[in-house]
Amino acid sequence: MIQFTNVSKIYPNGARALVDINLKIESGEFVFLVGPSGAGKSTIIRLLYREETPTRGQVVINGKNLLRMKDRDVPHLRRNIGVVFQDFRLLPSKTVLENISFALEVIGVAKKEVRERTRAALDLVGLASKEKVFPNELSGGEQQRISVARAIVNNPALLVADEPTGNLDPDTAWEIMDLLYNINKRGTTVVMATHARNIVDQMQKRVIAIESGKITRDEQKGGYGYVD
Amino acid sequence: MSINSLKYILQVVLKSIRRNFWLSLASVLTVLVSLVILGASAFFLVNANNMAKDFESQLQIAVFTQDKLSQAEVQSLQKQVEELSGITSVTLVPKEQALRDFSQSMGSNTLVSDLGGTNPFPDKFTVQVSDPQQVQAVADQIQALKGVEKVRYGQEIVDKLLPFTRWLRWVGIGIVLAFALASLVLISLNIKMNVFSRRREIQIMKLVGASNSFIRWPFLIEGMFLGLIGGVLATFVVGFGYQWLAGYVSSTLTFMPVVQDSHLIGQVLISLLLVGMAIGAMGSVISLRKYLKV
Repeated sequence: MIQFTNVSKIYPNGARALVDINLKIESGEFVFLVGPSGAGKSTIIRLLYREETPTRGQVVINGKNLLRMKDRDVPHLRRNIGVVFQDFRLLPSKTVLENISFALEVIGVAKKEVRERTRAALDLVGLASKEKVFPNELSGGEQQRISVARAIVNNPALLVADEPTGNLDPDTAWEIMDLLYNINKRGTTVVMATHARNIVDQMQKRVIAIESGKITRDEQKGGYGYVD
Repeated sequence: MSINSLKYILQVVLKSIRRNFWLSLASVLTVLVSLVILGASAFFLVNANNMAKDFESQLQIAVFTQDKLSQAEVQSLQKQVEELSGITSVTLVPKEQALRDFSQSMGSNTLVSDLGGTNPFPDKFTVQVSDPQQVQAVADQIQALKGVEKVRYGQEIVDKLLPFTRWLRWVGIGIVLAFALASLVLISLNIKMNVFSRRREIQIMKLVGASNSFIRWPFLIEGMFLGLIGGVLATFVVGFGYQWLAGYVSSTLTFMPVVQDSHLIGQVLISLLLVGMAIGAMGSVISLRKYLKV
């Protein structure tokens, strides 16, 4: 489903974020990206939803080469990828319901279908009762659940998350992990960059470790493996 | 674009205007003020041009023939002058006419007989040229013709008037251009603020796969709509203002030529409306470009 071939990324300021990365992720996998800050985890995430393009090498998702992809085809790629961020990125002026339905409205889904799918996503994250509330009236964990709901309301084949538990306390973090686990169980591929040692150690999923832009370890049912 | 998207975009526009009411009002007022100034300077240009034309049309060349020419020679000379390029009309004033005009202007009925039947006036042509800036060149050409005694075209006045009218036109054009540019800058600044205040929304729209054109439409329609409202208001202000001022000037300063051509005035006002809309739309697109490159 995802294939990186000899991918390097050098930012305009000269920073070498990734060096010759080769990587293959199959459909339905759950993958942790671990490594120190600045190692290149976020760059991989950004390459996946094509906020960035590689300087060298190929990124192929579902048979589509992101380097050769035209700018106007990018929206279609993103409709099939859900993205979750550490800082939630909800719109403060929209209610919970509006924040989620927004993702469907802007791609032209009919109103009735928007309502049904938004409700289903809210049910999935367990916040159906909060639909009329504004994001700043919710706790951090609840806000992140809303942002997960927004990411999956399109039924994307791939969910990428950049430190989704980074701003949350351990208990709340586990609520989000349960959610991601269930989403993965339904067949969605999940790629998650994280610093959360406990979570990685306990989940026993595939772990890819990155240091200084290179893959240093790639193991199934791995652990976090670093001493911070 | 689907009907769903269209409905959604219109909803977004209305909601955005309501939620950002003060910013929208500021945009409308900016358009209004800029277009009023632009409209006023456009009317200044139209009138400056008209005034220059009016002055220039009063320029003509008087051609005096030599005394001894026969009637046939005078007529052939008139033909020759008519055939020169850049001439609109040539009118012959025969010497008898000139004498009569002169005695009339002196208020004397006996002048003709006092002169004892002699006529000191030569035959004269009054020549109108198509391009006033070419008066001197044409006058020189006529002077060179055979049978021409003297050519008069008010050298002293022409030498001062023509640079002045040229200057008047350039100043008019300069003022209009300067204010058009100022309006564009003011309005795109305003829209930039509007776009900036919604950059997170745009970012998330990009993230969930909204196309650029879909993101652009609401801003484009909103910009055009606000520009149009500002344009309509400006049209009223400038239209009525000009009507009042033109009436006032033409009744008090009667020597001033004021443009009262309703067709021309209508054209200026409609241009104001279109410029308002165009500025609104252009400002939106320019301001958005930076945020769509994600």
